[in-house]
Amino acid sequence: MSDTGVTASVPPSPGGRKAARGLSLGWAGQYGGFLPAIVLFGVFFAAPLGLIVAYSFWQVVDYNVVHDWTLDNYRYFFSVSTYAKTFWATIWVSVAATALTIVIAFPFAYWLVRYVPKRLQKLFLVLVILPFWTSYLLRVYAWLNILGPEGAINRFLQWIGLTSQPVSFFLYDRPAVILVLAYLYFPFAALTLYASLERFDWDQFKAAMDLGATPFTAVRKIMLPQIKPGITTSVIFVFIPILGEYLTPQLVGGAKGVMIGNLIANFFVGAQYTRGAAAALLITAVIVVLLVVFRRSLEVRDAYAP
Amino acid sequence: MPRELEVVSPRAGLMRAFLSGWAALVYLFLFVPIGLLVAFSFNANKYGTFPFTGWTTHWYGQVFGDYQIKDALTTTLRVAIFVTIISTIVGTAAAFPLVRSKLPFRSGVRVGMTLPIMIPGLLIGVSLLVFLTNVFHLQLSVWTAIVGQSVYTTPFVLLIVAARLQGFDQSLERAASDLGANTFNRLRYVVLPLIAPAVFAGALFAFTLSLDEFIITLFLIGGSNTLPLYIYTQVKFGITPEVNALATLLLLASLVLIVLAFVLPVAARRLRLAVRARRVAS
Repeated sequence: MSDTGVTASVPPSPGGRKAARGLSLGWAGQYGGFLPAIVLFGVFFAAPLGLIVAYSFWQVVDYNVVHDWTLDNYRYFFSVSTYAKTFWATIWVSVAATALTIVIAFPFAYWLVRYVPKRLQKLFLVLVILPFWTSYLLRVYAWLNILGPEGAINRFLQWIGLTSQPVSFFLYDRPAVILVLAYLYFPFAALTLYASLERFDWDQFKAAMDLGATPFTAVRKIMLPQIKPGITTSVIFVFIPILGEYLTPQLVGGAKGVMIGNLIANFFVGAQYTRGAAAALLITAVIVVLLVVFRRSLEVRDAYAP
Repeated sequence: MPRELEVVSPRAGLMRAFLSGWAALVYLFLFVPIGLLVAFSFNANKYGTFPFTGWTTHWYGQVFGDYQIKDALTTTLRVAIFVTIISTIVGTAAAFPLVRSKLPFRSGVRVGMTLPIMIPGLLIGVSLLVFLTNVFHLQLSVWTAIVGQSVYTTPFVLLIVAARLQGFDQSLERAASDLGANTFNRLRYVVLPLIAPAVFAGALFAFTLSLDEFIITLFLIGGSNTLPLYIYTQVKFGITPEVNALATLLLLASLVLIVLAFVLPVAARRLRLAVRARRVAS
């Protein structure tokens, strides 16, 4: 859907105002379409979320939730050092995974825009998105074949004689989580970076180099400032979902790679609803702050349209 | 045009070689894990990993004979169909006022409606779990999972259809109105055919998301199993060749879905044009 951005360029026709009135619907006709959405999001999204907010400030007494307003759940979370550590680890794992994703994706997007003929670019992009369309769970699972104790890396190390026992360094720890997250979110970053690099005016690049700039200087001083919005968008689109990851740390992170998503799930599975609610709201607060700060970067009207 | 740049820097050739190598590594990075998965599914080794001990299709036979997988597949499809129906209707209906009405705080409403995508799916799952079981004392079932998944998939349909509506030329509707079409007919004969590709794309997207959804389903489906949940429990016990075979089949299925997504709209348009041409000819 390449025609999404063009609305603004259509000049209003002289009779536009009158004609628009000809199409005008009543209040119900205008807003009626929201009704199903209000029911779905109101009853099954906003209300449960509100309940979770309330829970995070309530207490459990004798296995019953009591409506006593308190900050105890939050205090409790930060008083247990494992939980507090997991919270900060979640932030840095997300930062590291996002950085790795961008570091892999930027040279790739640069290569795609600059060296691949225009008519082939779409095909190469589809190849990037292809794994993204396959099952998320299976993509995580696929890495167990590589990182696991009997996986490709261990087999290789044993074969060249570096180790005689399988080493578990590659699995069940944070490096594995970061690597797999970069793998999962690479398509997001590649797509957004490609979109902004594609609009970049390469003549400016050429001009800079004519004036004696090295390619790296040209990238740093001419290109990066112009594609900064694209980079911000891709950072946000990768970083935010990673903050709430559950499955990847669960499958490849093991006990040492726990992120806050796993903590939250454990709280709720253990029926510690108020504590789980507080943990969930902590990470949601981080996300909401990021969304508000970077709301401009999120106005990607056609990001999801194929 | 970018090619001319090569002349400028003597190191351009080196740069190009480096970046091409990088891109090749990226594609390896993307496809080797999946390729290994497929390869292992034909491996006779009963631990489902290295070394390759021989070629077999035995694991596929096991997949097709496994009643648990059959059950999980049925549940997955049933959930996905209902989720697709709900989110397509709700998302498409909401896209109209979002794009067209003189809504105050429109960008706020837009952000609010896309919130279910941005917050962790985990939170949707646990909040609905507490809400439905503690407040309404409902039994968890396939239906609670359907509702939970719909909350997550509807914003995608909404975004896709809204993007299409934004590029929509309203003078077509005015023309229809001038020619005497009422609201319903305008919708039926002008608007819907024009946004149909977006609605179709949204529906397909919702369907694939639902097939794959894990975390919301985990908390809300109760005793039933969907395929992702089944695979997850199997994986927790270690890699099994049967799961490799099942995974390969699912990859194949999603490939078919993608191809359909690209081919079907084009084919439908051709068919419609052909029918119209014949009607005109006769």
